[in-house]
Amino acid sequence: MSSSAPRPVLASLAVAAAACLLSACGGGGTAPAAGAAAAGKPVYGGTLTYLEHQAPTCLYLPAAGFYPNGGVLNQLTDKLTWQNPETLKIEPWIATSWEVNKDATLYTFHLRDGVTFSDGTPLDADAVAANFDVYGKGDPKLKLPVAEFVNNYERSEVVDRNTVRFHFDKPSPGFLQGTSVIGAGLVSKKTISLPYEEQCQLKNVVGSGPFTVANQVVDKEIDLAARKDYDWAPKSSEHQGRAYLDKIKIIVTPEDNVRVGALTSGQADYVRYVQAYDEQTVKDAGFTIYAEPTRGVNNGLYLRPANSILKDVKVRRALQKGTNAKEVVDTLFTPSYPVATSVLSHLAQGYVDLSKELAHDPEAAAKLLDEAGWAKGADGVREKDGAKLQLGVFVSGPQPLSKQTLELVGQQWAKLGVKLEIRPADAGTQAVDIKNAEKTAIAHSMVGRADQDVIKSHFHTKNRDVILSNDDKLDRLLEEESALPDEAARNAKVAEIQRYVVDQAYAIPLFEEPQVYGVAPNVHGVAFEAVARPSFYSVWKS
Amino acid sequence: MRPGVILSWALIVLVALWALVPGVFTGYDPISGVPAEKLRAPGPGHLFGTDAVGRDLFARVVHGAVHSLSGAFVAVAVGLVLGTLLGLVAGSVRGALDEIVMRVVDVLLSVPGLLLALTVIILLGPGTVNVAVAVGVGSVAAFARLARSEVVRVRRTDYVEAAFGSGGRFAAVLWRHVLPNSLVPVVALAALQFGVAILAISTLGFLGYGAEPPTPEWGLLISEGRNYLATAWWLTTLPGTVVVAVVLAASRISRSIGREDG
Amino acid sequence: MSGSARYLLSRAGQAALVLWAAFTAGYVLLQLLPGDAILIKFQNPELGLSPEQIAEIRSYYGTDGPGAYLHTLLGFLRGDFGYSIDTGTPVAERLAEGLPATAKLAGAAFALAVLIAVAVAFASCHTRLKWIRGALQAVPSLFVSVPAFWLGIVLIQVFSFRLRLVPVIGGSEVQQLLLPVLTLAVPISAPIAQILARSLDQVRAQPFVPVVAAKGASSGWILWRHVARNALPPTLTVAGLTFGELIAGSVVTETVFGRNGVGRLTEQAVNAQDTPVLLAVVVLAATVFVLVNLVVDLLYPVLDPRLRRVAA
Repeated sequence: MSSSAPRPVLASLAVAAAACLLSACGGGGTAPAAGAAAAGKPVYGGTLTYLEHQAPTCLYLPAAGFYPNGGVLNQLTDKLTWQNPETLKIEPWIATSWEVNKDATLYTFHLRDGVTFSDGTPLDADAVAANFDVYGKGDPKLKLPVAEFVNNYERSEVVDRNTVRFHFDKPSPGFLQGTSVIGAGLVSKKTISLPYEEQCQLKNVVGSGPFTVANQVVDKEIDLAARKDYDWAPKSSEHQGRAYLDKIKIIVTPEDNVRVGALTSGQADYVRYVQAYDEQTVKDAGFTIYAEPTRGVNNGLYLRPANSILKDVKVRRALQKGTNAKEVVDTLFTPSYPVATSVLSHLAQGYVDLSKELAHDPEAAAKLLDEAGWAKGADGVREKDGAKLQLGVFVSGPQPLSKQTLELVGQQWAKLGVKLEIRPADAGTQAVDIKNAEKTAIAHSMVGRADQDVIKSHFHTKNRDVILSNDDKLDRLLEEESALPDEAARNAKVAEIQRYVVDQAYAIPLFEEPQVYGVAPNVHGVAFEAVARPSFYSVWKS
Repeated sequence: MRPGVILSWALIVLVALWALVPGVFTGYDPISGVPAEKLRAPGPGHLFGTDAVGRDLFARVVHGAVHSLSGAFVAVAVGLVLGTLLGLVAGSVRGALDEIVMRVVDVLLSVPGLLLALTVIILLGPGTVNVAVAVGVGSVAAFARLARSEVVRVRRTDYVEAAFGSGGRFAAVLWRHVLPNSLVPVVALAALQFGVAILAISTLGFLGYGAEPPTPEWGLLISEGRNYLATAWWLTTLPGTVVVAVVLAASRISRSIGREDG
Repeated sequence: MSGSARYLLSRAGQAALVLWAAFTAGYVLLQLLPGDAILIKFQNPELGLSPEQIAEIRSYYGTDGPGAYLHTLLGFLRGDFGYSIDTGTPVAERLAEGLPATAKLAGAAFALAVLIAVAVAFASCHTRLKWIRGALQAVPSLFVSVPAFWLGIVLIQVFSFRLRLVPVIGGSEVQQLLLPVLTLAVPISAPIAQILARSLDQVRAQPFVPVVAAKGASSGWILWRHVARNALPPTLTVAGLTFGELIAGSVVTETVFGRNGVGRLTEQAVNAQDTPVLLAVVVLAATVFVLVNLVVDLLYPVLDPRLRRVAA
């Protein structure tokens, strides 16, 4: 069975395991994929200045989920398949077609002919096999970990020069979509055989993408140059051949006001991470804001039941009811940040609307705290057995306006008699204390990933485990969800988990976190991959 | 006293009063604001305007005085006590101990204050007191050098020689004659360091190692407000002006102390 | 051995001792840090490394085990500062990348600072109008009272974004240096201006100045010939002491302006607790400081005739 338009079950599973690896992820959708049409005929040439908020870290492909990494690697590498950000369907790219057996344990990909890496070596079945052998099994000797987006991988088989087959020891229905994610970018055989530390370095990353690295000043600037001989864009891409732009300057500019000021004063063309309070400034200056919504676990406060105060479900419920998410959004954010109505984004698969359950009700919150035995002390903070109702949380670096958000929630909780201790994000103490439920009672985070499994990633003790769960039932529910083959049953399970998490008050969802970009009016063809990383291939400047 | 000095003292007294009885100067709550009144420009209702969460900025500056001043006090105290002690011992004992102490001071001096402070903060963890201690450690060397040179100078004066000559015990002479006579320049330096400490603490706040939010520490106010410079200029400019004024006043007072007796 | 040779040797020995002590103190302090860089970098859940694998990585960086101190010290003497844990590249390489930019920034800022200081000090000495004099005398205090990061942000906002005179992104190298150099120079100029002004006042008050003036020398000539020469040594001392502050100042300046250099490297290293980098920076700062002050000490007799006579 050949299918470049996959079977229904595959189509639905296609969005599985969109391994968006870091917390701050967006979903595709709102960006006009072919924005070029409005501005006339595209022109070749020119340099795009792109300002990045943080410096890229380790550029080992499976770690590309971190936005600064993904923003670079998305230009340097191609993937076997392409996930259409609008339909979320899997379409051909380096693989022109593929077959999948019935129980999803055998995948055969037919590769495009004549594709080369930028070092001149061919992107053939051999190279693809070498890539996925590492992503699927890891390599302990080279310290390369297994990638999150490949499950149950057994081995690869090179059938001929342009045909590669993957064997799985158990069904792996998410693999097809897994070949399209940013972490599955294909690199040359030389790159993939390097040890972890070396694959981390940009200079060692050799891909087949539309751009190559021309120059790098570590932590400051990366210059990309277009590959003149690039001719293997996804089949459905309107633009084919080499990229329009000649060069891209990616400049790390951590100061928010400098990024926005540089954009609006014409010194930069394209910036990532426009803060909510700057959106209006950018729009007023005639620039475009792209706010890419996520389909994952919402930005929120996650309460840890192992904490000696939060082990009481009444206290957790009181905090949930005493938090006014709408006030947070109205005060600090913009319509790009929808108020959360569940643990998951309303665009996530299996989402259920729990806004009634999450309604702000300070009186009920106070009553719950009274019932739990916490009485107001002299300073307005509740006490019980001599201990104060005081909870610690770290400011979360990747989350937008995390500090202000926490301060505002702290204000709301202070009215209830609860003290929120906000600690600045200092990597050192955070690395030690974040895994300690006593010191860090609450986590401020989110995870984006276009799949039902995202909720498992967030809560399961073997995954991110943001709440440092001690709840076996929650683990069991999450495992059941990830093992269900049937889409409808899986969605129903996800709904059940959302209800359970909200009922147990492990989560106080605040808003659906987007990725926000600001783009100059003379930049056209702006496009994003399925989880909001920019693709500069079709971008051109007038 | 000159008018500049009087003005400086007046400002320091005012700020000290902010620290002691903030409630007299403002009725607003510095921690909890009214979200609906966010980002109001300075005006009659809000003298310094309001911030992104709707808190009155003037209230935050007034209530922040206690954090910033006590931080600066702790920093100066650490430097003053440790540094003067080292300098006093080195200058009085002389010999090998002097050599050792002064080499330690050289090492402290050779590492820029900010680097030293950053290292100490990571060691102690963030927080107002720790930041203050970290900044104080950076000024130990300056105090030690000054104290030592003063002690050496005073020691050579006739009356100290006389006190030793008439059989005074070493510690007693040190305490009764050397210390008080070396003190004036040290106090002048302390006043100057007070301003320097306020600046250093605000710089560390900018680098992300300041007080815990929502503490309205001045450095934190300036550094948090910087991102709103284009949209709400008052958030960083007004606290910045207050800091500049206080530091100026401290250095003016320092110079006046130095001049009266030096 | 002649007296001056012995002096030179003992000063050089002292300098070496201070450097060794700075290295050791830095090493001990940084070993005490609560978290550690390897944990910060590799505990990231998306990497899914086991504790054993992390221990293996640790040994790769050579941060564990006895003899590490000696190993590191010997490495430093050979110019091998180990590997940056954050980026996995040799520290020496990262320093080499950052140093030229910081040296340019610091050098230009120092020159500008001296220029500002001399201008302010001489202007305030020369002015007859009392209020201008007072205002000029207050300038150093004002300069030193402005937080550098705040000054930098305001400069960018005004000159780059409002007036659009100088770009902060792109632009020629000179354009890129302008605002950072100004930001760094302003606070550094203050102590130099202060000491210079004070020395000028002191020297002018000395009896020989009116005598020379009475002989008909112009005031400008007096200022150069006598006053400036006598004011130079103390100014040089303060300038030497200030030099170390340039590296600390570059931490803030480079962070604000997003420039690459040793300062930014330091900020990132502190954030990531990248001990090898931090240690190298501390030792580098100490080396610069010690060398500059050694040179100042050795220049002293050359510049100050009275000392020269004593030495001879």
